[in-house]
Amino acid sequence: MSTVPLQAWMLLAALIFSVGLAGLFTRRNAVAVLLSVELMANAVNLNLVAFGYHRGDLEGQVMALFGVALTVAEIIVGLALIILMNRTHKSIDIDSATELSG
Amino acid sequence: MIVFIPLALALVACSVAVIATKDLIHAVLLLGGTLMLTAGAYVALEADFVAAVQLMLYTGGVVTLLLFGVMLSQRVESARVLVHSKTWHRGLLSGLAFFALAAWAILSSELPASAVLIESDAQAVGKLFLTRHVAAFETLSVLLLAAMIGAIVLARKTDA
Amino acid sequence: MTAGIYVSIILFAPVVAFGLLAVAAPIRERGTLAGWLVAAATGATLWAALALFFGQLSDPQTLEWTIRWMSGGSADFAQVGWRVDGVSAGMAVVVSLVALCVQVYSMEYLADEAPGSRGRYFSWHALFVFSMQSLVLAPNLLQLFMGWELVGLCSYLLIGYYWRKPEAGKASLKAFWVTKFADSFLLMGLVVLVAATGSFSWDLPAGLSQGTITAVAVLLFIGAMGKAAQMPLHVWLPDAMAGPTPVSALLHAATMVAAGVYLIVRGWPVFEASETALTMMVWVGAVTAFSAGCLALLQDDVKKLLAFSTCSQLGYMMAALGAGSMAAGYFHLTTHAFFKALLFLTAGSLIHAVHSNNMSEMGGLRRTMPVTFGLFIIGAAALAGLPGVSGFFSKDMVLEALSHDAQWGPLVLCLAGVAVTAAYMTRAVLTIFFGEARGAHKAHEPGWRMLVPMLALGVPSLAVGLFVGDFQSLVGEPGYSATEMLSHFIGLPALGVLLALIGFGAGYAEFKGTKLPAPAGLGDWLRSRPMDRFYEAAWNRAVLVVARGVAWIDRYIIDAAMNLVGWGALAGGDYSRRIQTGRAADYMWAIGMGTLAVVAYGLLGGS
Repeated sequence: MSTVPLQAWMLLAALIFSVGLAGLFTRRNAVAVLLSVELMANAVNLNLVAFGYHRGDLEGQVMALFGVALTVAEIIVGLALIILMNRTHKSIDIDSATELSG
Repeated sequence: MIVFIPLALALVACSVAVIATKDLIHAVLLLGGTLMLTAGAYVALEADFVAAVQLMLYTGGVVTLLLFGVMLSQRVESARVLVHSKTWHRGLLSGLAFFALAAWAILSSELPASAVLIESDAQAVGKLFLTRHVAAFETLSVLLLAAMIGAIVLARKTDA
Repeated sequence: MTAGIYVSIILFAPVVAFGLLAVAAPIRERGTLAGWLVAAATGATLWAALALFFGQLSDPQTLEWTIRWMSGGSADFAQVGWRVDGVSAGMAVVVSLVALCVQVYSMEYLADEAPGSRGRYFSWHALFVFSMQSLVLAPNLLQLFMGWELVGLCSYLLIGYYWRKPEAGKASLKAFWVTKFADSFLLMGLVVLVAATGSFSWDLPAGLSQGTITAVAVLLFIGAMGKAAQMPLHVWLPDAMAGPTPVSALLHAATMVAAGVYLIVRGWPVFEASETALTMMVWVGAVTAFSAGCLALLQDDVKKLLAFSTCSQLGYMMAALGAGSMAAGYFHLTTHAFFKALLFLTAGSLIHAVHSNNMSEMGGLRRTMPVTFGLFIIGAAALAGLPGVSGFFSKDMVLEALSHDAQWGPLVLCLAGVAVTAAYMTRAVLTIFFGEARGAHKAHEPGWRMLVPMLALGVPSLAVGLFVGDFQSLVGEPGYSATEMLSHFIGLPALGVLLALIGFGAGYAEFKGTKLPAPAGLGDWLRSRPMDRFYEAAWNRAVLVVARGVAWIDRYIIDAAMNLVGWGALAGGDYSRRIQTGRAADYMWAIGMGTLAVVAYGLLGGS
């Protein structure tokens, strides 16, 4: 598979990241926003592994593993916050939390 | 290359579907699909250990998301109203802008010459974890602990 | 002693007196003490001025000392100091002599006033002497202007001395405003001069365009017109008679109004070079001389009569200067100072006796006030120009100058003025001193403090004319001595005397009841003060309209702009507040796009 150039993998990762970014600004459901964040993190990990493969050693894979663990931790806390938000605002619509409005 | 192109197409299709679909359960399932396809990409990049971890953690994580998503959406009325037509231009604009920028950066930079991959298996990765990256590894475990405790504290029912 | 020391005495004695009275209230509160203090200072000034004057007579040279006050432009831009020459030494003597006489006189004239008020009065006298002397001894136009403004201030203060009388307050303001209006032209002239030559000195550098010279001369003359009460800016002088009579004698007869003439004498190089200004001067002076004299004929109030007479005589001086003779103008200035001050002081003695200004309430006073009568006759003779008296020589010099310069129109007016002058003075003398006594009070001569100054002024009124030769050498012009003038009696001098006798006859006839031919209603129209009504109408129409326009601009344009700024700030704030929607999605959007922009700049733009 070494005929696939690094740029291809990088472009692919960038594309998935863009899709996740688009979803981040578009969705109103808090859980859907979390899904978009998940997509972006995934794209980053893909990028890292591709770099590692290209370099020829395992540094990229190690970083990707770290990234996976971090993303899991982030999802845990995010879900806890969604539960809290649901409790206080009775809704998981992110537009319902407007306390910071000026 | 024969593996890469279908894989890439499938990945992109799945991720677009995740953000575009109106049904939350479909979105969660499609995310699971995306993550599994990514695991396949890892295999293509000869990162078997990472692929395995990806499948275990993420599929497990995805299941959690599914459960919670279903539970929360079905109990609350406003969850069903989630039509996002008002701000779709934001997503389009930002996605395109970012991709254009990234593509320009990627295509105009010089990448160093590639090298042949050394032995890539779980043993080698583990060795790296416990030698060069041991500090980060230990910190990561503390972080995970903190996240768990924090989540529990945030989400517990307070008798007020 | 050097000239510098004398000048220091002249300037510092009065200002120290003023300072003491201004600061040390116990001295000021005792009015008589304040009066003697100021009189002593003025006496010192007179002594020093006499020393300078006799020094100039024996050794005429120009002495000057200046110190730089401001820097800017050329090296001699703004200097202050003094200049002593024949002209300024002579004027300094006149000012200090008349001031001393007036101050001693005031001590009795104002004896009924409260001591604190008298202290205030004398302190302003001290300020006035200082201001007038610094004007007289000024080395350049800048210091003259400063002295000019200061004497205007003193005039305002002293006219308004009887502040409880409403007409005094109005009169002092009117004097101030009319002279201030004229002073704005003076200031413009000053600015043009400085812009063209780079200094305030009167010596004109070569190469100035005729237009500039004329502009400066005309502007300065308009300023002098205001101060010297020439038509049409004479309206303030009759009203200024609301002040105490000694003030009228000092300021509004002898010195302050003379400052206008003195300006022209001092700045003679500028005026000499401009035909336009000279023509303007001779006509304005001649018209004033005649018309003010006619107005004097209509007056019942003796002080107002003397005020119009002063206007008229100042017109003579201006006409003489306009005809090109600086000596004639300056000499008439000197003689007029003495006899007019004498006339005012004697008028004050009359007013003090009968407690009224109006001549119709006086009468037959020659029996009860003989000394006053005699002195008034001396003053009236000088004013009318009877032969041998000082006024004869100076008025004759004026007429000679006019004929020498072929100014026939002004000459006719001035000659007519001679007849009118004689007529009103005759009427005044006859009404006040002859006939039966009409006043209710028992008239009597005043005390020695009023009599001695009057006598002191009577002497020069009689005698100064004899020194006309010395005078002319003082101002550096060749001329002829007194005896020479008397021997040239035929010609203009004789015509002058003849006209005076005609005037005398007319006055006597009117006193005896003969009605003189005159256009009907002219007297009443003149009494209705047409010039004042014109000024008031012009003020209402022109100035107020402009003022309202400016107020409109201020409210609807300037204030509106300010309000717009305020409104803009508030509206801007209100609008920008809406960025803070409170929705997390909007904040994410902002952060995301901001980061993207920064990264894009870093990648593409910064390089």
